[in-house]
Amino acid sequence: MISSLEILIPKNLNEALSLLVERKNNCRIIAGGTDVVPGLQQGSNRFANSELLIDINRIPEIKSITQTREKISIGGAETFSDMLQNQIVKEELPLLWKACSTIGSVQIRNRATIAGNFVNNAPCADTVPALLVYNATIEVESLSSKKEISIGEFLTGPYKTKLNKDEIVTRINIPIPSKEFRGDFYKLGRRRAVAISRITLAVLTKTQNHMIDEIRIASGAVTPIGIRFSDLEKLAKGKYADDKFLKLLSQKLGEQILNVTGLRWSSEYKLPVVQQMFYQLLKEIEHG
Amino acid sequence: MNKEFSVVGKPVIREDGLDKVTGRAKFADDYKFPGMLHAVMLRISSAHAKINSIDFSAIENDESLVSIITADDVPGTKKVGMIKNDQPIFCNEKVVTPGDVLAMIVGESEAKLHELVKKIKVDFTPLPLLTDPKKSLETDAVLIHPVEGSNLIIHHPLRKGNVEKGFAESEFVLEQTYSTQLIEHSYLEPEAVVAIPLETSLGVKVIGSIQNPFTTRRFVSEVLNFPLSKVRIQQAHLGGSFGGKDDIMCILSARAAVAAMKINRPVKIRYTREESILESYKRHPYVLNYKVGYNKSGKIQAMKIDILADGGAYASMSPFVTWRTVVQATGPYEIENVHTDVRAVYTNNPYTGAMRGFGSPQPIFAQESLMDEIAVQLNMTPDEIRKVNGYKSGSITATGQKLQNHEVNLLTVLETAEEDTGFRKKWLENKKDKSQLIEYDFSSPIINESQFISPDSLIKKGIGLAVSFRGCSLGAEGTDAASAYISIQNDGSVYLDCGLAENGQGLRTTYSIIAAEVFGISTDQIIYLELDTGTTPDSGPTVASRATLMGGGAVKATAEILRKRLEELIRSEWNLKSDDEIVFQNNQVLITNHQSPITFKDICKLAYQRGISLATIGWYKSPSVGWDEHVGQGDAYFTYVYGCQVAEVRVNIATGEIYVDKVTAVHDAGKVINMLGALGQVYGGVTQGAGYGIFEEVTTDKGFIRELNFDQYTIPTSKDIGEINPIFVEGKDIYGPWGAKSLGEPTLELTAAAISNAVYNAVGKRFFKLPMNLEEVLLSKKLRPEDLKRGSK
Ligand SMILES: Cc1cc2nc3c(=O)[nH]c(=O)nc-3n(C[C@H](O)[C@H](O)[C@H](O)COP(=O)(O)OP(=O)(O)OC[C@H]3O[C@@H](n4cnc5c(N)ncnc54)[C@H](O)[C@@H]3O)c2cc1C
Repeated sequence: MISSLEILIPKNLNEALSLLVERKNNCRIIAGGTDVVPGLQQGSNRFANSELLIDINRIPEIKSITQTREKISIGGAETFSDMLQNQIVKEELPLLWKACSTIGSVQIRNRATIAGNFVNNAPCADTVPALLVYNATIEVESLSSKKEISIGEFLTGPYKTKLNKDEIVTRINIPIPSKEFRGDFYKLGRRRAVAISRITLAVLTKTQNHMIDEIRIASGAVTPIGIRFSDLEKLAKGKYADDKFLKLLSQKLGEQILNVTGLRWSSEYKLPVVQQMFYQLLKEIEHG
Repeated sequence: MNKEFSVVGKPVIREDGLDKVTGRAKFADDYKFPGMLHAVMLRISSAHAKINSIDFSAIENDESLVSIITADDVPGTKKVGMIKNDQPIFCNEKVVTPGDVLAMIVGESEAKLHELVKKIKVDFTPLPLLTDPKKSLETDAVLIHPVEGSNLIIHHPLRKGNVEKGFAESEFVLEQTYSTQLIEHSYLEPEAVVAIPLETSLGVKVIGSIQNPFTTRRFVSEVLNFPLSKVRIQQAHLGGSFGGKDDIMCILSARAAVAAMKINRPVKIRYTREESILESYKRHPYVLNYKVGYNKSGKIQAMKIDILADGGAYASMSPFVTWRTVVQATGPYEIENVHTDVRAVYTNNPYTGAMRGFGSPQPIFAQESLMDEIAVQLNMTPDEIRKVNGYKSGSITATGQKLQNHEVNLLTVLETAEEDTGFRKKWLENKKDKSQLIEYDFSSPIINESQFISPDSLIKKGIGLAVSFRGCSLGAEGTDAASAYISIQNDGSVYLDCGLAENGQGLRTTYSIIAAEVFGISTDQIIYLELDTGTTPDSGPTVASRATLMGGGAVKATAEILRKRLEELIRSEWNLKSDDEIVFQNNQVLITNHQSPITFKDICKLAYQRGISLATIGWYKSPSVGWDEHVGQGDAYFTYVYGCQVAEVRVNIATGEIYVDKVTAVHDAGKVINMLGALGQVYGGVTQGAGYGIFEEVTTDKGFIRELNFDQYTIPTSKDIGEINPIFVEGKDIYGPWGAKSLGEPTLELTAAAISNAVYNAVGKRFFKLPMNLEEVLLSKKLRPEDLKRGSK
């Protein structure tokens, strides 16, 4: 049960950042509220002491998608529905677009935002693997500072990030990937909509005559937070992408995940499945 | 003048549709009254404990508290129940399952009460836990209700012929064990009820999300020690029930009424989803042992069945749920020798009771799996084995009943489904000789190179079917009659009411169609009245797919009484000859060889002027049935319906996902009254049945439920089920309005079994435990988290 709360709706970024400073002890940013509201309702510790919600949905500075020659910049408060309708995202960032399309349901996607997803940073946050393989950087602002760090660095642990109490994620910047990259995003849930991910995978590869020039691999839900597998990426560089190697790479992914998580109640299912489905994904990308 | 139906069988939009989609319909929680208070429940974190004392001192003087309600405040019966009175309104002596409520605190602010309730100190002594129903009947098992003397809730034996002889004469004998899981009804609207004290002489009124107002009235009157007439129950719009808003709503209504009468102010109880799942009853998990003897021809000689149902902490509807099981456990197959035992037992698990299907989905999963297994062994197709054994007109059931007075359409529905889907050809094409699933060895979690699945063999297709017969209405469970009230106004508009309560399935629309057909008027001329036990006659509960059959029968009978009065008036007014026919059609009355038509309105006005009463109550009573409980023999139900569903699936052998691409649902429900309502029943029932087959399971850890909300308890979404193709075979019957019978439960009971058979066809491996979730398909077992924490792992 949610006890009574104050909600303020700042009209611009400055107003919001000032509020964060003035009321820093008991306030919390709310965007779509799709993590905050269930969290409050369940009485989750993470949301305890929230007496004031700062609704950031009406701040124009953090609500647009723009493209320059090198990068695409997405406002932190963009909803998934808006992103799905955006041609730039659809054409240039197909993995992120696909990840957004698998989130919740239409109703959830109409409210839920991209920054909300990775600031909450659940193990199963679906945009994270895609943002990781696209080498996204996060722009964070407070009244007194402005910084930009890579998504991998920003996410520090399950439900933990480098965000300070007085900061807002204003933009997500993604370098436009070269056209030579091919890839895919994969999500497994217990059903086909409104499903908490059991496994997510994102892969981008650049090959020349079946030789792996570059590969970027990230997972979610099978690891405590979404991560890149740089060891595997190094191992694969320059290798011939034949069936034998793709199987080996899949087994290595299984080993890495096992190293990170140890054996859990769900490993007996998830480990073989992640190897199989990573292999499927690699085969599919190879065949285009 | 041979008259076609004018509204019966046509698609009619439900009368409350517009109000529901525009948000105007009032559900229980929408009712608010001046001075209304809220009540919040006190529970402890134990599944089995003796309560030593409850210390309210920390909250007693708090200004947000208006009253504390305990067992001491209950003026009448302190323990209630659908069949056995074993469930306390407030548990002051012990708790036997985590949903149990010890006391209730009442005040103006629900939020404050939720804070206060945490400060109450309960001193309790934990008792030994019993959570495995297989141990309930062991001699040293702890007794859940010591006064009952045993943990056995009920035992239904059935003996027909001589099974030992049958097995001896069989060429093959097969034995298998199946199990089904605990599941939640998942009605969209959680429980809500408000009790309002009336003027002193009138008693109490209760408005709520109530499935069965008359059962609720009985509970409330027993608990308050009031005569039935001093308890008025009004049903609010119901946001789903599926059999789940019966006992729980009776008990919540009684609690609210006790508080309202004590404090003399309206008191509301409303549950969060978590509380709803925690306390409300569920569908019984079953363990089913089947032994079957048969010959090369496929003919079954003998069947021995032993079924154990987990009744959980209270008896609730267990005796009746398991009774349907004992009647239908063989499936729709004529078998000479049958020996069945069905038992329900107490445990400390969440209690189980009525849920759509009511003791049939469990044995159908077992018996239809078994039939397919026999077919494969004998090199027959699934339809062939069923044709050898399936009921035909005049067949004798396991209870010794001869099937007559209705079209025994089992083979018709089977053949219709088969033709529509091209079943046999697809089944033979998909058939696998051995399991396509990979056997992983978990001691080495990294898979072998040879175990990788090549992309072109990732997805396997399968088709499967299941058939059933189902007894309509209550059968030998109890009295079976219903009544309706109709009052025609002098302008020809009509008030209609029936004692069977709308459960969201659209029965009011069905009843309006029936009355409209009899009067030859359009359905918009009919206003359906609110059900209020103060004015509506008792018609028993809305259960057992009996509403169209029994309530519909009552509406038709009532309308016919009034039509007869109008006919008599017309005959005398216009001096008709006895063979002159009168037809009510298009809001008019037509008379053979006679003047121009008269409007229905004018006839009603005339009746009014002549002083003829156009209001009446009519009845429909079932024919008698019979039952000998010692041997399980008798005419269990007065009529039956038949169904066949075919599921077409794809299975991903890397992930264990089952994609349900298409379900063809062929049902003989008798005459279809509202085509839209009937289609709705099939779409909903199939989806719910698929959820039972592959997604849903309430799991417990020491009696505590893990899945307390829909983030963890996964019911299917519209994206999870592909095409659903309903086909109606309208068999003739002498009962029900124009032979309309039952559809609600038949649509749900078959789907899991059909999917399971389709999965076997796809991957060559049979599953014996529902649900066939990801882990079950891939590893043939369930995996459970170690704790009750939420979130994905
Ligand atoms: C039914 C349902 C289904 C769901 N399905 C999925 C799914 O399939 N996949 C998935 O990944 N998630 C899913 N979610 C979770 C949730 O929808 C997502 O994580 C979503 O992206 C959260 O965004 P939001 O805008 O609603 O965040 P909010 O709940 O508003 O906020 C989440 C957190 O982020 C902070 N925050 C939000 N915006 C900013 C910002 N700009 N700067 C700094 N801090 C900020 C908030 O303070 C809070 O701590 C589901 C949730 C529900 C209720």
